[in-house]
Amino acid sequence: MIEPLSKIPDGMRYYFGREARLRRMVEETVMSVFDGWSYEEITTPTVDFYSLFEHGMGSSEAHRAFRFTDVDGRLLALRPDVTSGVARAAVTMFEARERPLRLCYAASVFRQQPQSHAEWRRETVQAGCELMGANTDAADLEVLSIACEIFQRLGLGDNYQITLNDVGVFRGLGERLQLDEVCRSEVRRLVDSRNGEDLLAFLNERKCDPHESRVLAQLSKLSGRREVLETAREVLDNPSSLEAVNRLDRLWRVVEALELSKHFEIDLGDVAKLDYYSGLTFSIYLNGAATRVGSGGRYDGLTAIFGSAEPGVGFVLDLDALTRVVLEQNTNSNEQQETEPKTVIANSDSSLPFAEAIKRRGEGERVRINFER
Amino acid sequence: MQKLTIAIAKGRLQNEAIDLFAVAGLSVSSEALASRRLAAEDQSGRCRFIFVKPADVLVYVEHGIADCGIVGRDVLLESEADVLQPLTLRIGACRMVVAAPANVILNTYGMLRVATKYPRVAAEHFGSRGQPVEIIELSGSVEVAPLLGLADCIVDLVETGRTLKENGLRIVELITESTARLVVNRASYQLKAEAIGSLIDSLEKQ
Repeated sequence: MIEPLSKIPDGMRYYFGREARLRRMVEETVMSVFDGWSYEEITTPTVDFYSLFEHGMGSSEAHRAFRFTDVDGRLLALRPDVTSGVARAAVTMFEARERPLRLCYAASVFRQQPQSHAEWRRETVQAGCELMGANTDAADLEVLSIACEIFQRLGLGDNYQITLNDVGVFRGLGERLQLDEVCRSEVRRLVDSRNGEDLLAFLNERKCDPHESRVLAQLSKLSGRREVLETAREVLDNPSSLEAVNRLDRLWRVVEALELSKHFEIDLGDVAKLDYYSGLTFSIYLNGAATRVGSGGRYDGLTAIFGSAEPGVGFVLDLDALTRVVLEQNTNSNEQQETEPKTVIANSDSSLPFAEAIKRRGEGERVRINFER
Repeated sequence: MQKLTIAIAKGRLQNEAIDLFAVAGLSVSSEALASRRLAAEDQSGRCRFIFVKPADVLVYVEHGIADCGIVGRDVLLESEADVLQPLTLRIGACRMVVAAPANVILNTYGMLRVATKYPRVAAEHFGSRGQPVEIIELSGSVEVAPLLGLADCIVDLVETGRTLKENGLRIVELITESTARLVVNRASYQLKAEAIGSLIDSLEKQ
């Protein structure tokens, strides 16, 4: 079949003019906040071994990547996420470095199948940070504070909402229900869509303990502020879920003390899709964006697959989704027009106008050459 | 409290859904309904209803144009939409079944030809038991397909079962039995948590 050359592949797009400029501005703002918190920039390879992502993200997420083979037949992928590569670098290249390690990045990621129909892009710029080698509440809080500062600096301080959860809550219940891996991922999908009815039917079919099943269905719909944790404590009785609830409680108290609690919510039904999370997880929502614009969490087990387990926490923002919201907001508020260039006329037989143009450029002026016949 | 936009599937579910919201305190004036407009405010001004085709409810909700919507389970099963489903409603009961001509025993060793409006549901159902099938996607009057020799059986929605009987079909298997759902956009669920929460509460009480 012959495709017309004017077409571009699904989910790919151009950025141009004001939008392209804003996108760069958003990226620079985000990266400057990371820098302000002493995070060093790292760029991971655009093409990497598929097995990195398969082990890092889990196969169900990794298989959305664009895959192809190397000359020796090994399976490669266009990176579908950056965290996996950063985690590998941390325990290999930066093995001898003093901990904690603070790394940040802004890079395109590629996914052959987009997450939802509202998120049709197959190339997305992600910006994120990873704090490795520290396993304390303070480390979790550090990355959350960074996220809050980013939204402040982008002028979105009143528009964002961060929902907190801890994978330990779900994992503790999952162990009680004794689910195999296939069932676990189906249960996770049902919890994630807050679909209590189908969840109960599914667990009932598999002869799971009815009490634990009901607890899970109830928790999947629990969201709100601190009172959520009280309710969770009343219905939970396994130690690892309760420990996770306690961790969330400690974090919530600090968030309250920092007077940030209006931007936060606890949502026990927001179960992360990525396999590598081990403790705190969070999602970031923004008025004007129909899907989440960021997510993150603690992944203490991730680096173990590269030979050395070490704690880590971080998050990632979808810069394209942020840009769209910033763009819409600026359109509404009539952002200032760009300065009109001082025009310099060029005659083909003389270098003089260019001398003039170069001089004005030296003074920082904006010029535009006109080619008159 | 923030204002909500609610998408309602036109057709089979529409009237039941409007009644449901009316009992929950969100009613639309009869003039607005009679005018056949595609959008209508409720009388308290707390929400706006939009009336769209059933499959489009999910599109509007997933893109966040509508914060939530009411849609039949059949549409949900067939779609891959990434939406939340926090509430099962009592309206729009339906059964998704496999049906075949009454006098035919299905050969489940070879390739089964299945006519349906729900190719995903059908593929999932037969795929989960390892039955090879050829899915023939139709957009209507699926019941006649076995009669005309296009397919061995059908996967379709059944309300009373009368249409099946009239076309000489019997139900071979029940795939799922369920009612309509409240679906919610992921971001709205968080950003308009208060409004959505109170909507769920008032619908739940019924």
